[in-house]
Amino acid sequence: MSGSLQLTGLTRVHTAGAPPALDDLTLAVPAGSCVAVLGPSGSGKSTVLRLTAGLDAPTRGTVHLDGRDLAGVVPERRGMAMVFQRPLLFPHLSVRDNVGFADRVRGLPRREVRERAEHHLELVQLGGFGNRPARALSGGQAQRVALARALAAEPRVLLLDEPFSALDTGLRQEMHELLADLRLRLAPTVLLVTHDPAEADALADTVAVLDAGRLQQLGPMRELYARPRSLAVSRLLGGRTEVPGTVTGGRHRSALGDLELPAPAPEGPGVLVVRPEAVTLVAAADADARGTVVQVRRRGLRALVTVEVAGRGTEPAAVAAELPPGAEVPVGAEVGLRIPVTARCVVPPAGLSEARDGASAHDRQR
Amino acid sequence: MTAAGRPGVGARRATLLVLPAVVPVVVVVGAALTSAALLSLGLTPLVGRPELSLDAWRATELGTSIRLSLAIAAGATAVATVVGLFLALAVTAGARRSRLLATLSSLTIPVPHLVGAAAMGLLLADAGFLPRLLGIAPADWPALVGGRWWIAVGAEYAWKESAFIALVVAGALSSRVASYTETAALLGAGRWARFRHVTLPLAAPALGASAAVSFVYTLGSYEVAALLGRPSPEPLPVLAVRLFTSIDLAARPQAAAVAVTTSALGLVAVLVSLRSLRRLAAEQ
Repeated sequence: MSGSLQLTGLTRVHTAGAPPALDDLTLAVPAGSCVAVLGPSGSGKSTVLRLTAGLDAPTRGTVHLDGRDLAGVVPERRGMAMVFQRPLLFPHLSVRDNVGFADRVRGLPRREVRERAEHHLELVQLGGFGNRPARALSGGQAQRVALARALAAEPRVLLLDEPFSALDTGLRQEMHELLADLRLRLAPTVLLVTHDPAEADALADTVAVLDAGRLQQLGPMRELYARPRSLAVSRLLGGRTEVPGTVTGGRHRSALGDLELPAPAPEGPGVLVVRPEAVTLVAAADADARGTVVQVRRRGLRALVTVEVAGRGTEPAAVAAELPPGAEVPVGAEVGLRIPVTARCVVPPAGLSEARDGASAHDRQR
Repeated sequence: MTAAGRPGVGARRATLLVLPAVVPVVVVVGAALTSAALLSLGLTPLVGRPELSLDAWRATELGTSIRLSLAIAAGATAVATVVGLFLALAVTAGARRSRLLATLSSLTIPVPHLVGAAAMGLLLADAGFLPRLLGIAPADWPALVGGRWWIAVGAEYAWKESAFIALVVAGALSSRVASYTETAALLGAGRWARFRHVTLPLAAPALGASAAVSFVYTLGSYEVAALLGRPSPEPLPVLAVRLFTSIDLAARPQAAAVAVTTSALGLVAVLVSLRSLRRLAAEQ
């Protein structure tokens, strides 16, 4: 059932003269894997799915499914099914007829269509819902039916366009578990688009971060969290600490002091980024840096504190740290910060990376 | 005022607010229909004594006119429905050429039927524009205007009403049909399957409603049939007008009988279509 998908140099310019919605994306989705495209709204992530599905034609680039070029192949012959943010259940059909839609247009006998629809409804834990009208479902149920309908089409690639973002947190969690379970049982090839790092983390093997139509970084979520390649990736994944400084001889110099880096970084200006979860508050003696708590924000049992570290002759630096559950610290407290060496990561400063991007875009235009 | 009293007051207020709209309709239509019915039954004669009689109902060739009117309305509506649906699909498809087509077709909406009928006459008559353009002699040209098959009448109604149906259906489809057909395509439905299983059912309520309006309008419309039709047999509205304007005052009850019949047919058509529309709407 599952096929392997290869996108190569995929580019889409919606209106001539405008910057491309998607710019030179190359991405492999191996058979049976789940790849998430993660990006803010307007980053071109839905365009990836529309080009893959054949709903829009790429300006440049190719889509290969199991080695076959899909250029000019209409959506209905691509062997892909898509679940959108809205369930889009056909309002004139019952739940069962919605799920059996693909089989029906394929010309399977009515009885078989019915049986297969029931089977797929059971897969999404909605056995017995077949006779209901599609509009009599709650949001979560409707999205399950949409998923069952897509699975019943036995697609070689399942495309998911922010399918759970309209659901509340609890339902979303349930849907994540359901999809993880379906992956274990059916091993479909999944290309998922989402703006939610937690969703990408929960569902995908590999994550491609897209910003302004361009691939920023590709890798497992853990790697993206630990080693973002740019400020954009760090910010998208909820990184808050950005300390400008200079890299010399494998060490980062900034308001935080002279910090050793875990891996070689290019010499010159660089921004130190650290996940708030990695930073701990310690006694002054064991600290890598010392500062004052300037802000405390609650996040359930945990608190997210911002510590300002005054630099010697430099701008003060703000470091975000997540406290262990139940721990409290008042605003104004003097605290020590411990930043583990492995958690330190240096990315190019915003101006530099933008200038670099601008130059390459300019080159391409020429 | 008690809390329990409030809903009753609200309902009464709503009724009061609706009354200004309902009263004139009930009074005008009700009074007109009642007096027409009384007149047709000989109970309010212009001269002589009131006497219950069905003479007015028997005197005219009501059956022929009913069949003719229904046939014209059904034929024109059928053509208008098919053409209107495809125009609506062309509009919602969004291609530039089809938008131009849609604009051109919607231009027909403000043209009065009378003007449309005159234009259709000039176009399709045996000495009209079309036979001249095609170089066909009047004697060889089929009798489209005033002929046996009421072609020009049907064509005029179909032309006008198709634009109306297209407008209504396109409005109903435009916001949602694209995402549903994309979903269907990704589930393996080809062009025909998408039309048959998705677009048509989604368009059905709007299509049914606008077709019903078009049917009832065509059934009761006078000027096109009078201008482009043959003198005999006459469709119901033409018959009613001729009898009503006749110098023979005895024809008035017959005219009333024809008018009541036309209204009854229209009412039945509306009730039947409302019923099936409700069923269609319940499915969506």
